[in-house]
Amino acid sequence: MKPMVCILRADGTNCDLETAYAFEKAGAGCRMVHVNQLRSGEEKLSDYQIMALPGGFSYGDDVHSGKILAVELTSFLKESLQEFVGAGKPVLGICNGFQVLVRTGLLPERRLGDISCALVNNDSGRFECRWVSLVIEDSPCIFTRGMAGSCASVQVAHGEGKFLAGDDVLDALESSGQVVFRYAGPEGRATMDYPHNPNGSLRSIAGICDRTGLVLGLMPHPERFVDLHQHPNWRRGMYSMPQGLPLFVNAVKYCL
Amino acid sequence: MAIQEVRVANLPEMPDTVGEGLLYDIHHTLGIRDITGVRTAKVYRFEGIGEKDADYLAERLLAEKIFQRYSINRPLLEGPALVEVAYKPGVMNPEAASLIKSAADLGIKGLRAADSSRQYAFYGPGALAGNIELILKKLLVNDTVERVVKESPGTLILEGEPGRTKIIPIRKMTGNELMELSKDKLFLNLEEMMAIKNYFVGLGRDPTDCEVETLAQTWSEHCGHKTFKADILAGGKIKDPFLKRLQDATINASHPLVLSAFVDNSGVMEFFDGWALCGKVETHNSPSAIEPYGGAMTGSGGVFRDVMGTGQGARVIASTDMFCFAPPEIDQSAVPPGCLHPKYLLRKVVAGVRDYGNRMGIPTNNGSVHFHEDFRAKPTVIVGAYGLLPVDRCRKGRPEPGDLAVVIGGRTGRDGIHGATFSSGEMTHRTVDLNAGAVQIGNAIEEKRMSDALLAAGGEGLVQAVTDCGAGGFGSALGEMGSETGVLVRLEQAPLKYPGLSPWEIWLSESQERMVLAVRPEHWSRLSGICRTYNVEAVVLGTFTKDKRLRVTHRGEMVCDLDMEFLHHGLPRRVLEARWTAPEPRPAVPGPPRDWKEAYCKVMSHPDVCSKEPIVRMYDHGVQGTNAMPPFGGVAGDGPNDAVVLTPLYGRPCGVVISHGLNPVLNNINPYYGSLWAAAEAVANAVAAGAGPGEICLIDNFIWPYPDPESLGALDMAVDACADFVKATGIPFISGKDSLSSTYRGAGGTVIKIPPVLCVSVFGRIRDVRHTVSAPFKKAGSALALVGRRDPSAMAGSVYCRLSGTEGTNLPQVDPRALMDTLRSLHAAIESGKVLACHDISEGGLAAALAEMCIGGDVGAEVWMEHGDVPEEFLFNETSGVFLVETEDEKQLLELFGGTPCKIIGRTARDRSICVYRNGGKLFSVGTDVLKEAWKRPMKEVFGP
Repeated sequence: MKPMVCILRADGTNCDLETAYAFEKAGAGCRMVHVNQLRSGEEKLSDYQIMALPGGFSYGDDVHSGKILAVELTSFLKESLQEFVGAGKPVLGICNGFQVLVRTGLLPERRLGDISCALVNNDSGRFECRWVSLVIEDSPCIFTRGMAGSCASVQVAHGEGKFLAGDDVLDALESSGQVVFRYAGPEGRATMDYPHNPNGSLRSIAGICDRTGLVLGLMPHPERFVDLHQHPNWRRGMYSMPQGLPLFVNAVKYCL
Repeated sequence: MAIQEVRVANLPEMPDTVGEGLLYDIHHTLGIRDITGVRTAKVYRFEGIGEKDADYLAERLLAEKIFQRYSINRPLLEGPALVEVAYKPGVMNPEAASLIKSAADLGIKGLRAADSSRQYAFYGPGALAGNIELILKKLLVNDTVERVVKESPGTLILEGEPGRTKIIPIRKMTGNELMELSKDKLFLNLEEMMAIKNYFVGLGRDPTDCEVETLAQTWSEHCGHKTFKADILAGGKIKDPFLKRLQDATINASHPLVLSAFVDNSGVMEFFDGWALCGKVETHNSPSAIEPYGGAMTGSGGVFRDVMGTGQGARVIASTDMFCFAPPEIDQSAVPPGCLHPKYLLRKVVAGVRDYGNRMGIPTNNGSVHFHEDFRAKPTVIVGAYGLLPVDRCRKGRPEPGDLAVVIGGRTGRDGIHGATFSSGEMTHRTVDLNAGAVQIGNAIEEKRMSDALLAAGGEGLVQAVTDCGAGGFGSALGEMGSETGVLVRLEQAPLKYPGLSPWEIWLSESQERMVLAVRPEHWSRLSGICRTYNVEAVVLGTFTKDKRLRVTHRGEMVCDLDMEFLHHGLPRRVLEARWTAPEPRPAVPGPPRDWKEAYCKVMSHPDVCSKEPIVRMYDHGVQGTNAMPPFGGVAGDGPNDAVVLTPLYGRPCGVVISHGLNPVLNNINPYYGSLWAAAEAVANAVAAGAGPGEICLIDNFIWPYPDPESLGALDMAVDACADFVKATGIPFISGKDSLSSTYRGAGGTVIKIPPVLCVSVFGRIRDVRHTVSAPFKKAGSALALVGRRDPSAMAGSVYCRLSGTEGTNLPQVDPRALMDTLRSLHAAIESGKVLACHDISEGGLAAALAEMCIGGDVGAEVWMEHGDVPEEFLFNETSGVFLVETEDEKQLLELFGGTPCKIIGRTARDRSICVYRNGGKLFSVGTDVLKEAWKRPMKEVFGP
């Protein structure tokens, strides 16, 4: 049986179709579920094996990016979210989805309502869309199993992607291996240099997971590189396979 | 109850990027150096709740402790120089709805209204009243929509009593009185006003304000395109109307892929596997001239809705933007009164396109920016959108009598009243004051959820017909949709943003993000359910009838009762005189430069040539995950491509190609050849990327000065050029738009005619995107050829000539038939897989194309000229439809381009410089890093490092 993915939508979600395609290509089945359908009970989170929060501008990113949807989720769907992650089911938040996960408190410690880090305005002060290189850290993350030490080329597209937390939180994230992706320079090492680190993220952090490795959030868009021709330089023969796809394949494998 | 005020600011030790961005502008745009710091705070106001609830909202929603602090009903930022900037009352702040929603989600009761604004604190010795005044005026406040908050408002709730419907005593009016009524409001001429008068004389009654306004909207140049439908008197002969010439050319081309041309909200062509593509390109010049951010946003929103409202609903897959401004470094004193500085316009227009497209999740990935000082009175802002829809739903159904007229989306306010008539008028020094109501702030999220709902409804077959509410509002949308049947509208059903709108205002409001649907009564309940799921408001506004009348009531009172026949066909047909006087022929012969390197760098940093990468990076050009050829590629991601190629059907290799061409300089020399140049450039861009010339369609946009005989003469030639292009190539125009108001009249009789612009957009299909080719060079040591026919001495209008101040009439004259031969053979070459890189020649000539390809490929090149070549012509001629092609070796070039003009000109090289040889000797060489710096600098100066 194909694992079913709940692609969560809200007003202003906009990377839903490509996220669904990435999961489908990886072998999952997908359904688009509006948050209203979960609130009304028309759809149940427990019917799904994976939950994905795609990119976009949920509710216009008013107040803070992802904030209005995060408040909605923690106000109305707290129990079903807790149940979902408690059942050992993977959750993926990409870009706006990452912002939502952080603002619900699901990341980094799976404590709903407890916000310990933030994604804030890029240091450049601008929305930026560009390809960057990520180095994959050794972590319990189920989405990156077997990939530690390798690099991936992915696109970022955001205005509020600077990862920010106090030193204690950053230290804790690092010591428990919860940093999954860092922005890397051309030589493949973590960097603070613009534009390789496109937003000024502290400790070059591009993505983190919870301690179990089931909940992953990242600013870049792996779903935009699941076919070779999606990369601007596929014609130069630089890549033999699409480097965003393994994340989705790993999630599907985990559920099988 | 009092208003609760919450202020939120970043902690003092945290950066404030909004403040830093403003400080950069204060230093670099205004040149005020002794302001040393800017900090900002968001100000939120809530009406109807107490302080405790406000504190709860601050804690849970508004402020994040990790990096922020807040205050309730107390100041937060400190210092003597504080100002707060807010939207004017009645301008809808899109954030307000989110505040109300989130407060409800948090269980807060009683909240009646909310608003947000921003406060600024300035520090340093220069933080003085005079400087702050300047900052407010030049950088922060656009009077049209914003204001400085001097004291806290007493209430956030807007009240108002609707005005009564007025009777206009038109039957008694003299010619002068009719024109007084028309002036600044209706923008109709005497003959048209007389036609209205006579109609009501015939009826034996006077019209309501609503009826007069409805007629003015429908008959406006913007909606009625009366110039394009007029007979043209040129050279003593009556010629067919412009629109008919374009349409006839398309009909005669009988292109097999065209599904609908010039009839729907956008043009539709066949794609693959049961899918169709549609495309529409719009201008939004007048609103963008007075409020560039809101104007660009509503321009994008409008063209997206055109695509969404095509057939029975399409999904928008791409957007494009083409702008013309005065050069950003122009002195403020050169900007006419009532007009905004081009640097401000450019930045704000880009921000508007960015914020609407990014939020809608529509990749903006093809565009260009052009500069000429005659755009100082009014910019040209062109936005395009492309969509995907099933072939079997690509044509509109007709509303049947009994069908419901349903409006979905945003609420109706006093926004954009007179937008259609306003954009049909000329820009004057009074424009900013008189027509302030014509612009509003777009709400992309409202449109996004409407699009989601519409696609869901269309997928279930619930939509008979759909159209967007654009210029002319409900009046235009329903007047058109019901033109064959008749429609009865009950205006009081329309959801309003605030009370107090007169019936005619509701009827003609141009509030954004609304669409009108024709729905079978039995489908209404399902449709309204879908809309509820997506948080989209939907109401039944009326019913389609069979009386062929447009009847509008408000609380039982009849406010409009017009014959559809008179409304749509009562407009007197015009005969317009067109007269173009050819300038005295004289060749532009610029001669060689003193210093080749310097001249090359100057061309590269000309604003028309320079890299626009900073703009593209601010657009989410990769959303939807469909890019198979993005705007920029190459080793370091900074090499521009000619077109964008998308794969909108996930998992399938079939592609959409999108490109365009325009050149405002050449039309001033010769509108016929200038227009051919634009069409050739547009098509060349698509074919350079790998599109087959037989699988593309065109969209025209004529942005012309007010149609006096001289301008009409130029337009007459431009239209003939388009029709001739279709005849010669078989590539049809399937959608188009004209905007004939690019004239500025100042006090004291100054007249500035904005350069006439023809923008030709291309969209088409490619069976397999793996057979496309990007522009950056792929390696060192490969062969280079110039493919296509050109006369290098045709230098007039080129960037090189403009830089050297040389004028003339010898502009490039593209022969469309020869062009078609070149395109066919280039396409076959690309299909064969042997072309490594291809770039079309445009502004900056071969030199610019070569440099861009070297920069993208991170290589250099050697170029050899022959004995007869004149170096500055060889390097800088700008004939479109000519290509620079990279292949493995020279032998391949000869094989691939046997019967086509093809000149081997050099090789790529490992050394990162461009070396130009002539007669065996070196003419000059220049490092690509030097060229790259020159090419990248200008836009960095506008948009920051």
